[in-house]
Amino acid sequence: MVISAWETYFPTLIRWSAVGAGVILLMISLYYLLRFFKVKHEIANGYALILPWILGLLIWNLYPFARSLYLSFTQYNMFQPPQWIGLDNYVRMFTKDPYFWPSFRLTLFYAALNVPLGLVGSILVALLLNRPIKGIGIWRTIYYLPAVLPAAAVALLWRWMFSPTSGLINFTLQPVYKLLNIEPLAWFTDPDLLMPAFVIMGMWGVFGANTVILLAGLKNIPKELYEVADLDGASGWSKLIYVTLPMLSPTIFYNLVTGIIGSLQIFTQAFFIPIPRASGTFLNVKIYQEAFSFGNFGYASALAWFLLVVILLLTLLVFRSSALWVYYEGEKRS
Amino acid sequence: MRKQVLFYLLTALTVMGMVLAACASPQTPPSPTQAPQTGDQGGQAQPQPTQPPAKPAEKVTIRLTTWAGAGEAAELQQILDRINAENTDFQIVHEPAPDDYYTKVQTTLAGGTAADLIWLSQEWIANLASKGALLDITDYLKNDSSPAAQLDDYFADVLKTAAYQGRYYGLPWIAQPVVLYYNKALFDAAGLAYPDESWTWETFKEAAKTLTKDLDGDGRNDQWGFTLNGWPPPQMFIWQAGGEVISNDLKSSPVDSPEAIKALEFYQEMIYSDVYAPPQATIQEQGFGEMFKAGKIAMFMGGAADDLDRVEGLDVGVAPVPAGPAGRQTFAWTASTVIAAQTKNPELAYKALVQLTEGIHGWKIVPPRKSLATAEAISRIEPRKAKSAEAIAQAVPSMRSFNILPRHQEWDSIFWGELMDPLFQKKATPAELAPEIRKKLEAVLP
Repeated sequence: MVISAWETYFPTLIRWSAVGAGVILLMISLYYLLRFFKVKHEIANGYALILPWILGLLIWNLYPFARSLYLSFTQYNMFQPPQWIGLDNYVRMFTKDPYFWPSFRLTLFYAALNVPLGLVGSILVALLLNRPIKGIGIWRTIYYLPAVLPAAAVALLWRWMFSPTSGLINFTLQPVYKLLNIEPLAWFTDPDLLMPAFVIMGMWGVFGANTVILLAGLKNIPKELYEVADLDGASGWSKLIYVTLPMLSPTIFYNLVTGIIGSLQIFTQAFFIPIPRASGTFLNVKIYQEAFSFGNFGYASALAWFLLVVILLLTLLVFRSSALWVYYEGEKRS
Repeated sequence: MRKQVLFYLLTALTVMGMVLAACASPQTPPSPTQAPQTGDQGGQAQPQPTQPPAKPAEKVTIRLTTWAGAGEAAELQQILDRINAENTDFQIVHEPAPDDYYTKVQTTLAGGTAADLIWLSQEWIANLASKGALLDITDYLKNDSSPAAQLDDYFADVLKTAAYQGRYYGLPWIAQPVVLYYNKALFDAAGLAYPDESWTWETFKEAAKTLTKDLDGDGRNDQWGFTLNGWPPPQMFIWQAGGEVISNDLKSSPVDSPEAIKALEFYQEMIYSDVYAPPQATIQEQGFGEMFKAGKIAMFMGGAADDLDRVEGLDVGVAPVPAGPAGRQTFAWTASTVIAAQTKNPELAYKALVQLTEGIHGWKIVPPRKSLATAEAISRIEPRKAKSAEAIAQAVPSMRSFNILPRHQEWDSIFWGELMDPLFQKKATPAELAPEIRKKLEAVLP
């Protein structure tokens, strides 16, 4: 068995070593090529050194990116060569697919709830964690913990927490149900409760990562501003409105942009928690389903490009609006 | 200068290391000079104790991929060892992939690294055959006189799952009919006669109602007559009522026919009802088959090979499923072994397929062949099933498999997600839902 394992892996090892040697050769030749064209030593050196990364970007990011754009105009099932069908995939998406609009609505609705709630919540938590409390290090660690846990494990954990009979949430709420004399809530099977359940799950993860970034933003606000405000006799509320939030606005802006992108791309939780199909599914899950369950890679690519355009437009909108409310230090407020 | 070269070398080595680490699984297609050896993924981990150490190099390796878990793989290995010992020109190497099986099968087929022989359950063969991924073995079968290649010995309705547009792409190795397991003690306690061939839906429903009881008097049922959970497949009841979910010509999905509606109403009335069967929450909490094994369920429709009739301390009988208004059709869970179209050795792969199929027909119940599906053969293949063999053999003539579409997975997701799920949750009645869902289902038909 040892020999057969060696036989299997040896050719692979050789191939990959050859790739490595090839990259070295390319790096060295790029350096001398640039030097030949009288490029400065440092610059040639720099380009030669980032060559592996550039190759990676081209091969593993840019090529799939371009390829998926091409595939979105074809019918492709992975087994037979793609067939050019023009805009049919997009026509199908907007006019024929009965699941597209419900899924898109569901995804937008989720983002519309998740982004503002997550932002306000994480600002509040960051403000709390910015206070000189005892054991602040422990609190900060606890709040950051969700961000470092694997998303799939978290999704499974939440699935159990929300389980109608054996889950922690319904168990804790049992007295409330008894008091109100109602049936325990069926979190994931009742279409009306689906969105609250997902938003609650979303909050948990969002708090951790965003809070740390906001906290860093808070720490960056110069102490003098608060001292001046104190001298002017400003209340805590005024300090929050006139000092903290404007100074924090670049960080909030960053969190808003990443939050919108992240919410529209929700996948892991939705993939691990089966939801009633009648209420549609999240767009990213639909893309996965079309591609890997149904083998419609062309259509899935078209959906993915649609999602990209939506995210791009929303991000542009937020960027455009930023002049109105984002304040960078050193800028004059008009 | 020397320092600089050293610097480049170190950087490149680091990059290489990262590339190696990131791409540990060989995703690149093998170079043309290199014949596919044993499996890339875990083939080495398979113990092959009886394989002769001498001259394995002369034999062509035929790779077989299955979803078998550890126990099943060990049993299968015995069959493979026998085949490998008998043949001088090929040896079958088993590569089990119990997790995420169909994703892996599709990816390897598309990537050109698929095994030669592949297990597929009935829903997948038309799909992959329509994409040209499977080898058409119709002509091989015509010129083969071995018993496992005689198509007229197979049950026609099971064999059709291995065919696509009149051509054959594999050989079925199992046709496991659904039978009715019943707990004798609970029937005795209720003073009811055991289920038999005279049972119809009405008798069955009546018995299920009688057997659903509150034993400790706390106002909540703790014993139920029957249990459903999306299993047994609702299609079976639609067939029993004389309806269809996909017509034989694959041209329609008449889930709104009066027969289908009647069956769906029957199914909806029983599922999670607490009059006949446990509520969904109870099943989730206590386990579906586990509840029967714990003696809390009187009747359970399970596959013929299930271990429900050999539970310690439980006296379990087996009977055919009750008959509907139009017959006693029972669902047969069916799977086949197919050959990947990309195999480098089609002749040897075919030879291996026939011998493997013959081998599995002596291992799994029920073999999908008329000559082997007798009570006597069943108790020989699986001695633990001896006392149920008669009832299983009785169910065999009325077993049916699904009519399969190339886009069956899509069809399934609509059927389960939009028709069955709302029915199970009692959000709608079959008559309200079926006409609209029929349109969606038929949009997926070829």
